[in-house]
Amino acid sequence: MKKKNENIESEAMAGVGTVGKIVCGIVMVFLCFISLFPVIWVAISSLKKDPLAEPGFTLPKEIYLEGYIGVFRDMNILQYFYNSFKVAGLSVILSIIMISMAAYVVARMEFKFKGIITGMLMATLFIPPTAMTFPVYNLINGLKINDSHAGLILIYTCSGIAVSFMVIRNYFATIPTELEEAAKIDGCTYTQTFMKIMLPIARPGILTAAMLAFMNYWNEYYWASMVLITKELKTVPAILAQFQTAFSTNYNGMFSAIVVILLPPMILFTCFSKYFIEALSGGAVKG
Amino acid sequence: MNAKTRKRQLGIRRSIFIVVFLLPILICFSVFYLYPILMVVISSFAKWDYTNLNNMQMYPLNQLFDNYIYIFTKYPYFKEALKNSCIWSLCGLLIQVPIATGAALVISKKCRGWKLTRNIYVLPNIISSAAMGLIFLQIYNPKYGVVNQLIKLFNPSFQDNILVVPGWNMVALTCAYIFFAGTNMIMVLGQISAIPAEIREAALLDGAKGWTLDRCITLPLIKSTLKTISVLSVSAGFILYNEVFFLTNGAAGTKSISFIIRELAVVSPRAQYARANAVGTIQILGGLLLVLLINLIFRDRKEERR
Repeated sequence: MKKKNENIESEAMAGVGTVGKIVCGIVMVFLCFISLFPVIWVAISSLKKDPLAEPGFTLPKEIYLEGYIGVFRDMNILQYFYNSFKVAGLSVILSIIMISMAAYVVARMEFKFKGIITGMLMATLFIPPTAMTFPVYNLINGLKINDSHAGLILIYTCSGIAVSFMVIRNYFATIPTELEEAAKIDGCTYTQTFMKIMLPIARPGILTAAMLAFMNYWNEYYWASMVLITKELKTVPAILAQFQTAFSTNYNGMFSAIVVILLPPMILFTCFSKYFIEALSGGAVKG
Repeated sequence: MNAKTRKRQLGIRRSIFIVVFLLPILICFSVFYLYPILMVVISSFAKWDYTNLNNMQMYPLNQLFDNYIYIFTKYPYFKEALKNSCIWSLCGLLIQVPIATGAALVISKKCRGWKLTRNIYVLPNIISSAAMGLIFLQIYNPKYGVVNQLIKLFNPSFQDNILVVPGWNMVALTCAYIFFAGTNMIMVLGQISAIPAEIREAALLDGAKGWTLDRCITLPLIKSTLKTISVLSVSAGFILYNEVFFLTNGAAGTKSISFIIRELAVVSPRAQYARANAVGTIQILGGLLLVLLINLIFRDRKEERR
């Protein structure tokens, strides 16, 4: 087994000379550096008592944790995490249920207008959502769900259809048709076939789509900052816009708050990076 | 006879099933895409601002394009925003896509530590662009940031905030996001590892090695993925908003199209809905044009050669 691995590695490296290896190494170090630099710098600065007195990339003279205590004591930061989790979670559930249903029908059945419907749903990938700022804002106001989580959930559920649709449809398309035929012979209705047979089999594809969608909703700023006005309702990205003013001169507090905001997604990613990378690389986003 | 009616019944049931299962997504599409797009396009030919919020008035035929004429000739920020958004689209294609591809090729060589590098490089994409914007705002801060310290090495008298220096602030803003192409890189990497081993072996037997193999075999085989990430990068650049808002808030010549749409439609107390929607119409058309252009760039050239 180990030998086989070595073989694969040597094959990938074949023809890459010593210079090539050094170039690879340098590029890899550089990639790690630019990715980690912003985060590490913020983390180091959050430990400095007064970042103004020790600017730039220097190690703190003494470790100062008052900022972190302040974040949890004064900022009610958990409230924003809860809001984000609630909005993103509910939006994912609603949109994934809806998209799975449509993706199944499109992947496995023939009907009129199938081409048009698929084209419409795929086109959502290219339509800039910001162009629709005013109609959507107006609609949310008209439905009297502005400044509420319901409004944001409605926007999230309806937007960003394309990627989830592609991922789930492609997964349904790989399931052999014999299963459906067998179910039909056993007397399953269409709904039963979908609920009891197709959905459980397509679970990996659906989970992939759900994970990608959750990440998008969790990080979404544009609509969150527009719809939510009450401070207590804001999601994590929306509250970030107030940091610069809220912490006007308390730089240590601001750096600490940024670190606290970054931690949950980073920890989750460290734990689940394997699934996340599989989701993205497994041909998920193919036209 | 009996079998026929049963068949028809089954057909009706099937149709009902299809309609019921497609209905939710079609409603959502109509609410969030179809209705808004129609609204944006139609109202861009109307007089509709803070003075007549509740009764939009269509312009007569001879004034139909007034909003467009206004934003192109009178509105001071539109040209700046269009230029910037086009620059950011171009940066997506010319900087972000090559970086993602190059990184994927290097990581696909599986040097020691490739997995760790891959995971670390995706990390900035996990963090929201709002948080990244806020972090870079600190990095560019003239008092305690890093960038000014670096500039002072070459120009000791430099005291300004780089984000208000016209020209340089565009560079700074672009640098705050353009290098983080982790998700795109993963897509390319996935496609590279999906290339059948036989093709690679055949190429190796023919004497293609290392970077030659990448150029002649790998790149042409992953062309469809390169097209996908080009569309994603270019579209993202064209509608850039978060970085603009967090880093410069549109100051000193850094407005983007999305920024002025929001400015006109929501932020400004003298909101100009119709004019915002005219800009929105241009954004939709521009976005479609960019996708078409990318399709043109990546079209198969094989047949032409013959």
